[in-house]
Amino acid sequence: MNAPFYIALRFATHRKRALLLSLMGVVFGVGIFICTQAQTQGFAQFFIDSTIGSNGALTLRSRFQPRHEGLVIPSKNVNALPERRNFFEGVHNVSEIMRVSRQFSNVVACSPVLRGNVSARSGFEMTTVELFGIDPPSHLQATDLAKQIIDGKFDDFTNNTSSVILGYRLADQLEVGCGDSIQLLSPSGEYWRFVVAAIARSGVGTIDATRVYAQTRVAQRLLKKPYEASMIIYKLRDPQRAPALATHFENLFQHTSQSWQEREESTLQLFIMLRLSAAITVSLMILLAGFGIFNVLTMSVLSKIREIAILRSMGYRQVDISAIFLWQGALIATVGSLIGCILGASLTWIVSKVPIEIRGLLYTNHFLVVWDWRHYFWATVLAGVAVFIASYVPAQRAAHLQPVDTLRGSSL
Amino acid sequence: MKGDISLSCHDLERYLGEEEERVHALRGVSLDIEAGSLHAVVGPSGCGKSTLLYILGLLDMADAGSVEIGSTLITGLSDEELARRRNQLIGFIFQFHFLMEDFTAHENVMIPMRRLGQLSEEEMGERAAHLLESVGLGDKLRRQSRHLSGGEQQRVAIARALANDPQVILADEPTGNLDTNNSQRAFELLAHIVRDREKALLLVTHNRFIADACDWVHEMKDGRIVARHPHGQRISV
Repeated sequence: MNAPFYIALRFATHRKRALLLSLMGVVFGVGIFICTQAQTQGFAQFFIDSTIGSNGALTLRSRFQPRHEGLVIPSKNVNALPERRNFFEGVHNVSEIMRVSRQFSNVVACSPVLRGNVSARSGFEMTTVELFGIDPPSHLQATDLAKQIIDGKFDDFTNNTSSVILGYRLADQLEVGCGDSIQLLSPSGEYWRFVVAAIARSGVGTIDATRVYAQTRVAQRLLKKPYEASMIIYKLRDPQRAPALATHFENLFQHTSQSWQEREESTLQLFIMLRLSAAITVSLMILLAGFGIFNVLTMSVLSKIREIAILRSMGYRQVDISAIFLWQGALIATVGSLIGCILGASLTWIVSKVPIEIRGLLYTNHFLVVWDWRHYFWATVLAGVAVFIASYVPAQRAAHLQPVDTLRGSSL
Repeated sequence: MKGDISLSCHDLERYLGEEEERVHALRGVSLDIEAGSLHAVVGPSGCGKSTLLYILGLLDMADAGSVEIGSTLITGLSDEELARRRNQLIGFIFQFHFLMEDFTAHENVMIPMRRLGQLSEEEMGERAAHLLESVGLGDKLRRQSRHLSGGEQQRVAIARALANDPQVILADEPTGNLDTNNSQRAFELLAHIVRDREKALLLVTHNRFIADACDWVHEMKDGRIVARHPHGQRISV
């Protein structure tokens, strides 16, 4: 066994109470870091999965007129606003765009949607809803709508053109269930009657409170739109690469294209802020643990001055003395991180079982967590860095102690 | 080999402290110590005995002069090189034994061997046990050093000083903390080992009987060696 490591092990185990205190700081810091990250990312991931599952990872909307630069050299003012585009409502050449889109390896499926706002009425209840005219087979491939059905059957919707699927919060608001009928008000002022074929729950509050799905042809007639799709939504193999594909599609198809990251930017920023805030708070805990370790090791150096002088007299180098205290820090970091990871996993599991009723931005009946190895990795790295910094100063101090001063002081 | 010079120093000069508190601790000290011989340095407190010992033990550097161990000149070496030579060539014994309190006697003796890193764990254990047996502590290998008596602790320190089979043993008041009986026993043990294994011993002592029993006694005063006496000549300590 490496000599400094052996001595470090003996020194560390000798001061059991101090070792335990140092370990506890790291254990709790790492454990709570993992648990808070698992929770905050759990909620964020649930929101992302839900919004992608309902609205796709990428959407293609209105066509715009291509910009052509003239011969005149443009102004060099970098703050100048970009030239305005002329937009044309709706997606043109839907089938051709979808055919070309499917050639991209990242595209799993795509589905045209005709979207518009109408009023919905049931009994005395009336509200404004977002009507999604969909092609059922392709929409099933591009979204998680089938999985989101909590009441009724998707097939009933497919087989009946006069049926709709409602978001569950909207159904609650209109006080309707499967088999009941609702009326949608067309722009020309006519009420169209539909049967509620199914009720869906996406998990995202705004979608569940406003969304009504109808079949494309019916929606087109109801909304009196001249085009068959106001947008195309895409399911991607790697949703993280959506922004790059959106830029590419925009140039390729000359239609406004938006990734889910851009679409949900404000909500995602909120989640990022929460995660950062939790990470900073818990990092402060680890930092405090680092201060504790600094104190413990400094006290250890002070109480081991005589031993350090003896070791130097026996041929131990300055680097060996430094290594003894760095090894002690490494031992605390390793054992603390290991136990901290186990504690973090246990806390995460326990928290995931805690019942909690959230019915706002998200729909959930329990805490949402994500099991991600990166939380454990970063917690360990953070603890390692904090402990190394905390050990380094006492280790250097120990290494530079002059043995003669100690030996002379003891022998005279 | 017996009679060969194991340790020598020439014209050592050492200043301690700074500015007004500066003390000329060593003033041109020279010594030759042969293998298998016992040398004592005596003198009043503050005369430079320990300073000389630490310079010869490569724990401190002289401001002028030279130190040779065997035939190797020890000058201008790095901390790492000095530490390596200290580990291989020198064994220290201190007045207060300076054992690692939480380590057993056996573990204490193994500490220098661990640094040397030439033996396996098993070989180190065997060698430490053998050394402890040779100082009469074969039955107390596993006892923590803090639970040993003063005399036993000093014998562990002697065994530890011999751990890497050094050429030179430097002892700073090795019996200063022991009663008369234990002093006598510890010194006899040390003398026996030095003669038997042909080590060179330089010890600093205030004990006139121990100094008398050495082959040479060097009297120091104000940083100088003022007299040298061979074995048997009475000295005034």
